[in-house]
Amino acid sequence: MTILSIDTSCDETACAITSDTKILSNIIWSQAKDHAKFGGVMPSLAQRMHEERIDFVTNKALVNSQQPLEKIDAIAVTVGPGLSIALGVGIKKAKELAIKHNKKLIAVNHLEAHVLSPFANSQFSILNSKFPALGLVVSGGNTILVKINEIGEYETLAQTADDALGEALDKAARMLGLGYPGGAILEKFAKLGDPLKYKLPIPMIGQEERKIFSYSGLKTSMMRKIVEIRETNGALSKQNIYDLASSFQDASFTHLFRVCSYSIANCKLKIVNLLVGGGVSANIELRKRLRHLGKQFDINVSFPYSKNMTGDNAAMVGVAAYFKAQRGEFVDPKTIDRIPNLKIGG
Amino acid sequence: MNPIMKVINKFDNKLIINVLKQGGLVIFPCETVYGVAVDSSNNIAVEKLNTYKKRPFGKPYAIMCANQEMAEKYVELNTTAKNLYNTFLPGPVTVISVGKRKVAKGIESEAGTLGVRIPAYPNLLKLIKEFDRPIVATSANSSYQKRPYKITDILDNVSKKQKELVDLIIDVGELPHNEPSTVIDTTFDEAITLRQGYIRLKDENEVLSSSEENTQNVGKELWQKYENYSGKRSIIFALEGEMGTGKTQFTKGLARAMGVTELVVSPTFSLVEEYKVSNSKFVLEHFDAWRLSNSTEMETLGFLKMVENKNTVMSIEWADRVVDVIRKFRDQAIVVWVKIRYGKNMNQRLISWGNI
Repeated sequence: MTILSIDTSCDETACAITSDTKILSNIIWSQAKDHAKFGGVMPSLAQRMHEERIDFVTNKALVNSQQPLEKIDAIAVTVGPGLSIALGVGIKKAKELAIKHNKKLIAVNHLEAHVLSPFANSQFSILNSKFPALGLVVSGGNTILVKINEIGEYETLAQTADDALGEALDKAARMLGLGYPGGAILEKFAKLGDPLKYKLPIPMIGQEERKIFSYSGLKTSMMRKIVEIRETNGALSKQNIYDLASSFQDASFTHLFRVCSYSIANCKLKIVNLLVGGGVSANIELRKRLRHLGKQFDINVSFPYSKNMTGDNAAMVGVAAYFKAQRGEFVDPKTIDRIPNLKIGG
Repeated sequence: MNPIMKVINKFDNKLIINVLKQGGLVIFPCETVYGVAVDSSNNIAVEKLNTYKKRPFGKPYAIMCANQEMAEKYVELNTTAKNLYNTFLPGPVTVISVGKRKVAKGIESEAGTLGVRIPAYPNLLKLIKEFDRPIVATSANSSYQKRPYKITDILDNVSKKQKELVDLIIDVGELPHNEPSTVIDTTFDEAITLRQGYIRLKDENEVLSSSEENTQNVGKELWQKYENYSGKRSIIFALEGEMGTGKTQFTKGLARAMGVTELVVSPTFSLVEEYKVSNSKFVLEHFDAWRLSNSTEMETLGFLKMVENKNTVMSIEWADRVVDVIRKFRDQAIVVWVKIRYGKNMNQRLISWGNI
């Protein structure tokens, strides 16, 4: 089944053509740099840029896939969660295409798309994937662990009580003067530092049964530590920054690991697969730790096949849409609407 | 309801003392709100109070005394405390001192401190005098429920199980809507306000928080101070404070007190998050201006429409970045400016507020 999918949930104008779980084209035009110029996000600019770029990105996806529009079986679009006015642009385009070319329309949850992103272009065939499985989304906007009873049916096992993991890493980078968003720079610097140098407290240690991720206390400890070093040394040295970056990343990942480990150990049914998606799943250290987690519990851990698939993209929307189409979950173009705070799982 | 629960309309001290002595739980009026009390020397009665308030063991209570003389049997008064007693008591102030471990288990804090209140409510003072020992008392509502100014405020918001624990109610009708007592801790180097009611120590409104839970509680208390305006004008809680000071924690408490049941998380990424209150027309708009490049972007996010809606309550994190936009609406909305600063110790925060 060939699907044209659109995602405009945040800073990326994205369109992809997929055939079942195979990617034929995946176009992403990011606005991150445009917003950085203004020293922050400009929602009005985001909307305008999505509007200016959506036609180009859609055409480009079609051209690259070498599929004429007649070969497309359905149109899919992210309806949430995301920035309301940005979501609206993608939905409008998808609606127009569906009506004009008389295609079926599929509304996709951005979070579900992240969860299912490891299926894209993967050997990990749907036939041998056993359920229940676990899905972990670690991104700038979300940190959530779900039990996948079957594709389309999710149960929340743990979620963040304050910041998302990616957001916490970005904020830590900002505290260290590395700019925003600086999660990627933080990762680079963390490699150069000693993760045990500052022994930042692991969040919620011993309280994993509360099933929440939390980074607020860790941010406070980090801030206090920075002030303390400044008071003694005057300013942060390069090595201080490396060590702090490393210590922060270590504490935040250890916390993630512990909560996931608790949830797996307390799952009544045997789990065979863990699917990981979202921007932070590109982090090498995090992948290493999650693979280690997999070994401990004899679980197969899958990540998106390429870095392009970890951040926001439309190919993952196409994959999620394919499964929805198989279940016959189409929507009426007249009633489709954005759901900025859409959730996943009960 | 407790089959033997009694409701009386005035202070019948003989009856009340009899109930207290038997470990009973009494709901009573005072100069602030309706309180719930048990005998401060009875361990089992204090456990019953914990069950009624759904409080975990270890969260301290205050005792109500008839006078300073009675208080000094239970706490060590330093100079700061004595000055406060002279100035404010009897009155709506709870003074925390080092306890003498003479009350039942679970009343003093884990650190051994104990709050004392001498209420400015003659009937109650007379009762405690006749009882000849303090009662342990707290507000009669369940946590995060509305302030109890009349008996129905309480009974409509507690479970059947909680109601069954009540032995006696002294119902004198609706009380004037006064603030709960100001709570002042005198065990630090200087007097520190933990909760601020009508009486305050400084020109500025300021309280100390020692945990995330405390900060949430301050969010609740500020909501209760401004709740009266809800539905009449939109209310904006403009939060200013460095990274990690607890702006989201404050909003969690505010949301819970408003009746939001959803999990409130940081809106940094989504910029604005909307929470509906079940069975109510009120809505909480939780903004984060940190990532916004420009204050005019608040309008793109729907700020104007929200301010115009009288049922809107807003919490704006990093409000200092969009102060010009907020200031434009200070006639139309109630704007409460809340500053959160890091305190001396790891978890301490100083939270101050005022209208702009």
